Amino acid sequence: MNGSAGTWLSRTGKYALLTAALILFAGPLAWMLSTMLKTKAETYEVPPSLLPDSINFEAFNRLFDVQPLMWRWIQNSFAISILVVIGVILSSSVVAYGFSRFTTKFKDRLFPIVLMTMMIPPSVMMIPSYVLFTKLHWVDTWLPLIVPAWLGGAYYIFLFRQFFLTIPQELDEATYLDGGNRWTVFARVILPLSKPIVVTTVIFAFVNSWLDFLGPFLYIKNNEMFTLSVGLQLLIGQTSQDFPALAAGAFISIVPIGILFLFAQRYIVEGVVLTGSKG
Amino acid sequence: MNNRLRKYDTFVFFLFIAPWIIGFSLFFLVPFGTSVFYAFTDARLPGSVDYSFVGLSNFKDMLDNPIFGKSLLNTLYFVVVGVPVVTAGMLILALLLNLNVKGIALYRTFYYLPTLVPIVATVIIWRLVFNSEFGILNAGLSVFGIGKIDWLGSEGLIKPVIILLQVWISGSGVLIFLAALKNVPRHLYEAVRIDGANRLQAFFKITLPMISPSILFVVIIQTMYNFQMFTEALLLSKGGPNYAAYTFVYNIYKSAFTDLQFSMAMAQSIFLFALISLVTFVLMKLSNRFVYYEGEK
Repeated sequence: MNGSAGTWLSRTGKYALLTAALILFAGPLAWMLSTMLKTKAETYEVPPSLLPDSINFEAFNRLFDVQPLMWRWIQNSFAISILVVIGVILSSSVVAYGFSRFTTKFKDRLFPIVLMTMMIPPSVMMIPSYVLFTKLHWVDTWLPLIVPAWLGGAYYIFLFRQFFLTIPQELDEATYLDGGNRWTVFARVILPLSKPIVVTTVIFAFVNSWLDFLGPFLYIKNNEMFTLSVGLQLLIGQTSQDFPALAAGAFISIVPIGILFLFAQRYIVEGVVLTGSKG
Repeated sequence: MNNRLRKYDTFVFFLFIAPWIIGFSLFFLVPFGTSVFYAFTDARLPGSVDYSFVGLSNFKDMLDNPIFGKSLLNTLYFVVVGVPVVTAGMLILALLLNLNVKGIALYRTFYYLPTLVPIVATVIIWRLVFNSEFGILNAGLSVFGIGKIDWLGSEGLIKPVIILLQVWISGSGVLIFLAALKNVPRHLYEAVRIDGANRLQAFFKITLPMISPSILFVVIIQTMYNFQMFTEALLLSKGGPNYAAYTFVYNIYKSAFTDLQFSMAMAQSIFLFALISLVTFVLMKLSNRFVYYEGEK
């Protein structure tokens, strides 16, 4: 099992195990691909055929016909995710600089609270937040989804801080000697050296925003303002028997993240491990 | 640094962390504070101005509701059965993906993909796969002579199906275990092998203790998550059939948005928060006996 001595299992045995598990994990995704390329009639065959007779993209046409707002939802999801990413990068890096470079008793008292907020169960905050957003007249706008990202999420502050701590203090001091202040150190020294963590955070914040369902589901009632996820949920109700169209909808919601993952797998893995292995 | 400079620097520190202070106050302290307040009133709507204090009656009504017990039991099922199953699943997958064979990186990519699928798409895919008439799963099982199984429509199966779905999207936990496995020093395995230990003994004597901090972390995160089980149950079967997947958070959601009793939903949220905090605390305390931290000895 551990790479040290793998002799207990033959190489064929290992590949057999891996492939069996692979079928379990990639199989449902393959079934989605196959279903979305079938005609509607084909999906009602018993027993179902593994692959479509011929490849056709009618399902996509039907999807956009039944739900003319599809394009709108896709654009909304992109717009929200991009605004979230910008906010997260700007706010979390500034806050993380505060928590990594200052020596004050307040830092040592407040940072544990930052960590603690990572442990607050989100669904406990679901109703209290809803009440707050109602009073702010933010319900049915994107503000509940975007504004919190501009005010430093604990998770991203932690990511940035861990990285900033690895940058040698001597660089800060050299900048002070040259007449720099706290802000110049942050903007001219720390941030330019932090490209890897900025990339990781961009990807993470985008993915998390794209995957968010409960937020937009609770706070947005107007169909035109929906994100893709919430729109798809509506679609499940509308076209529950049009399997190819549903599969096509699912596929569309996966594509942006899938492409991101292809190019940035390393960063995603890094982010998960960095925040996960701190425990 | 002299005193004035130090004070100035503290001021600058607060400027830097100001976004977090505003966010923490506005999106945590204020809503949490108001929810504690509202839990003791009879406010029905989020904007209600016309309400009165009712003491503990929300909490009393919550306990009296016959669905409360059912939702709590369902939630406990996801915690007591779900967390060990999902954690074990992650660990087995991590061990598999830690195998030293060619092309393992490609396998890892495929195992992680489901984790990145939006939950609504995941549910669509599961409805396609688990569809009792036209799904691929029943078609596959029929080859072995197993008759149609109504996966999503049967009270006994819906919870296991949701737990299985959790295993399918457990890639993040797998990554954490994989990183932990890679950090176990090789020489420990060599040492026990010289002492004549076999693979299984090495796993229990070396691997498990060495990765126990990661196991604790994953168990705590998963426990908190499963206490809050809602989205999967809502989208997959609307909490049904016959309330079989109706969880505690589902109850909160229904109190607020269907019954329009926000004060009741607040009381339920506070109850859940207390429950999760208590269980997490007990887990941490218990863990001292099982978790091995390098460098502590």
